[in-house]
Amino acid sequence: MDIRSQISMVFHLDKCIGCHTCSIACKNIWTDRKGAEYMWWNNVETKPGTGYPTKWEDQGIYKGGWEDVGGGISLKGAGKQKGLLNIFHNPNMPVIDDYYEPFTYKYLDLIESPASDDQPTARPISLITGQPIDIKMGPNWDDDWSGTPDYARNDPNFSGMSKAEQEAMFQLERMAFFYLPRICNHCLNPACVASCPSGALYKRGEDGVVLINQEVCRAWRMCVTACPYKKSYYNWHTGKSEKCILCFPRLEAGLAPACMHSCVGRIRYLGVILYDADRIQDVASASEKDLISKHMSILMDPFDPKVIASAKANGIADSTIHAAQVSPTYKFVKEWGLALPLHAEFRTLPMLFYVPPLLPVMASVKEVHNQEQAAKFGPIAKIWDDNWLYDTSTEELWGTIDKARFPLKYLANLLSAGDERAITDRLKKLMAVRIYRRWKTVGDIPEAKANEALNGAGYTAEMADDIYCLTSLAKFDDRFVIPAAHREHAIEMLEFTGDRRGTVGFGFKEDTMQRGL
Amino acid sequence: MRDPSQQYNERTRIASTLSPSLRRGIVAALLAAGGLIGSQSAFAQESGQQIFQKACAGCHSIGAGRLVGPDLAGVSDKRSEDWLIKFIRSSEALVKAGDKDAKALFEEFKMHMPDQSLSDDQIRRVLAHIKEKGTGATASKPEPAAAQAAAAAARPDPNQVQLGQDLFEGKVRMARGGPSCNACHDVRNDKVTSGGILAAELSLVFSRMGKQGLQSVIASAPFPAMQVAYNGKDLTEKEIAALVAFLQHVEKEHAQQLPRATGLRMFSAGVGGVIVLLGIFSLAGRRRKNRSVNQDIYDRQIRSE
Repeated sequence: MDIRSQISMVFHLDKCIGCHTCSIACKNIWTDRKGAEYMWWNNVETKPGTGYPTKWEDQGIYKGGWEDVGGGISLKGAGKQKGLLNIFHNPNMPVIDDYYEPFTYKYLDLIESPASDDQPTARPISLITGQPIDIKMGPNWDDDWSGTPDYARNDPNFSGMSKAEQEAMFQLERMAFFYLPRICNHCLNPACVASCPSGALYKRGEDGVVLINQEVCRAWRMCVTACPYKKSYYNWHTGKSEKCILCFPRLEAGLAPACMHSCVGRIRYLGVILYDADRIQDVASASEKDLISKHMSILMDPFDPKVIASAKANGIADSTIHAAQVSPTYKFVKEWGLALPLHAEFRTLPMLFYVPPLLPVMASVKEVHNQEQAAKFGPIAKIWDDNWLYDTSTEELWGTIDKARFPLKYLANLLSAGDERAITDRLKKLMAVRIYRRWKTVGDIPEAKANEALNGAGYTAEMADDIYCLTSLAKFDDRFVIPAAHREHAIEMLEFTGDRRGTVGFGFKEDTMQRGL
Repeated sequence: MRDPSQQYNERTRIASTLSPSLRRGIVAALLAAGGLIGSQSAFAQESGQQIFQKACAGCHSIGAGRLVGPDLAGVSDKRSEDWLIKFIRSSEALVKAGDKDAKALFEEFKMHMPDQSLSDDQIRRVLAHIKEKGTGATASKPEPAAAQAAAAAARPDPNQVQLGQDLFEGKVRMARGGPSCNACHDVRNDKVTSGGILAAELSLVFSRMGKQGLQSVIASAPFPAMQVAYNGKDLTEKEIAALVAFLQHVEKEHAQQLPRATGLRMFSAGVGGVIVLLGIFSLAGRRRKNRSVNQDIYDRQIRSE
């Protein structure tokens, strides 16, 4: 057992309203710079949709992540041999048009245009060339566009679904979508770190944040292709790659990352999870059907004395262990079993978990026979000749989930490596808490039925109340449990602090970065 | 008049960008032009004797036997004046036109006489001088073959050869500032840096011109381009002797040198190599994602301009 600590995240998709406030907060703090205009370390996508960069989930195009090579895993598009072979012409590199060409508007024209018969307009100009452009794409170009042939129907998550199933999703009355906010997953088995020929990427020992050392980065851009989530970006101005840093300067000061702090729907949770580093390889090379359960099993119980002993032996501070014990993410992921990692089949062991959305699933389409009814109408009455009904009733507890208008296969492809049972299990639990709370607050459901629901999900009444509290009432400090940074310990991992003993001041100023930073 | 070295640079620059045959044509034209600039005014008012000394004596004698070219004593008796004027103007043109006598001369001496840009009047003056001097002097026999063979067999002094090589390659400057030989000439010898291709290849010139002929050609520089290049920068006796020794040495070693792959072969090898390399590169990039995922969407979008 080799216990380490990881700052993990949970995004509650049921609560996301797709307002992009998180993206804007992140952009304003970190990527509002030359060369970084097209980067969205945090972005929000509409699902079904193709996302940003377009079709990032399709590893047939971008060759990111790990693949099972019989008994082990290897990087799909990078690694020692493939990386060396492709080092000067990485064939799977996303181009700027896969993201979008960043633009602004010539606002000054609105003020400075001479008087004329027409209103002045602000023309869009490229932030790369400075020339007027036609805007062709944006980071959330497919926002709310469920059912469109170019975006929703090209969603890579439809793999394994029949054409009829897909088309059923896009019937006007059945059509649904939800939002998927994405940041770097700060994986336990990061493909970007493994792919870097310069060794510029690393996973911070103290909290597992994955970072790119800007002084070591040599712009090979292997991480850009290797990251299956396409969350490593190349800055064309500095000639270095950049990625989400989980706002570590804020974390070290005890503040939540900007995207989480600003979240309007309060969908985001952040906390420490202790994991067993010895088993990373075992878990990452598990067969596809075991991936989720094995991923869950690597996250260790912070109350287990053996886990605590191993954590202390690894130099994890008591405050961090305590943070893990009250961590909201541990509760969501492990204790309550509500959250799932995004695309576990990429085998990077992401540490950002999503509570699957219940809302688009709840209502369902019911088969009805309108012919008899229609026969009773007079010839002038409008006749409904279709034979289904949009049913929002919760009369049946679990039937609606299995016959959901949002196919479980789709959610399973997205969140559980194709395992529909894992999705059904999470949705049942969410539903059970709802039914329980409805009995408690509205009272139009009998207590026996509420208890039956909880039993079916394996929850006690206390757990359901806790889930309700953390989902709906949680205050800032409940949602973000940030351990003290203990930089003094972190530094000791890298250098001997005794070297500085007896010296004064902050030492000599080192060379500053030359290229644009 | 322009600086000869500058002129030379210009010529090579132009020449290096062109195909070999076209290049030769242009070089010839430039040389002729250079000759026109250099020589015509120089002879305008001079007597037949002076012109002969400058333009002819490097290769021809009057009654003193064969040098590079034939002894000219009694030439007026053998050929008509009309033919002589034509021949002196451009022997090459006459050979190409199919003149029997000119052809015979070309076959005998294996080289064209350089074109002389002299007016009819000047040529007549020179011919008069030859006639005047050649009268009485009988065309002497060429040097006995045995003597020539002996001269050729004499091993040149290694120091002389080394000096000659350095002068040829420009490692040692000409005392009076003349340009080095390999600016225009080349010899086939592994020890010598490749020279220019503007003028004749000199590997076998020793046997073609003979020791005496070479000496007089180098000294008087009768060819138009050489005239311009060495105008006022004549070579010293020592330099001439060294160069002749060097050329003799080169000819002797000629058979043992590696053949040089230049010209069309090198060009075609280059083209072939580029094609092969491009093939390898395109094979390496055949699975490249060279198209945006969004291209289909972009193609359908309406552009404002």
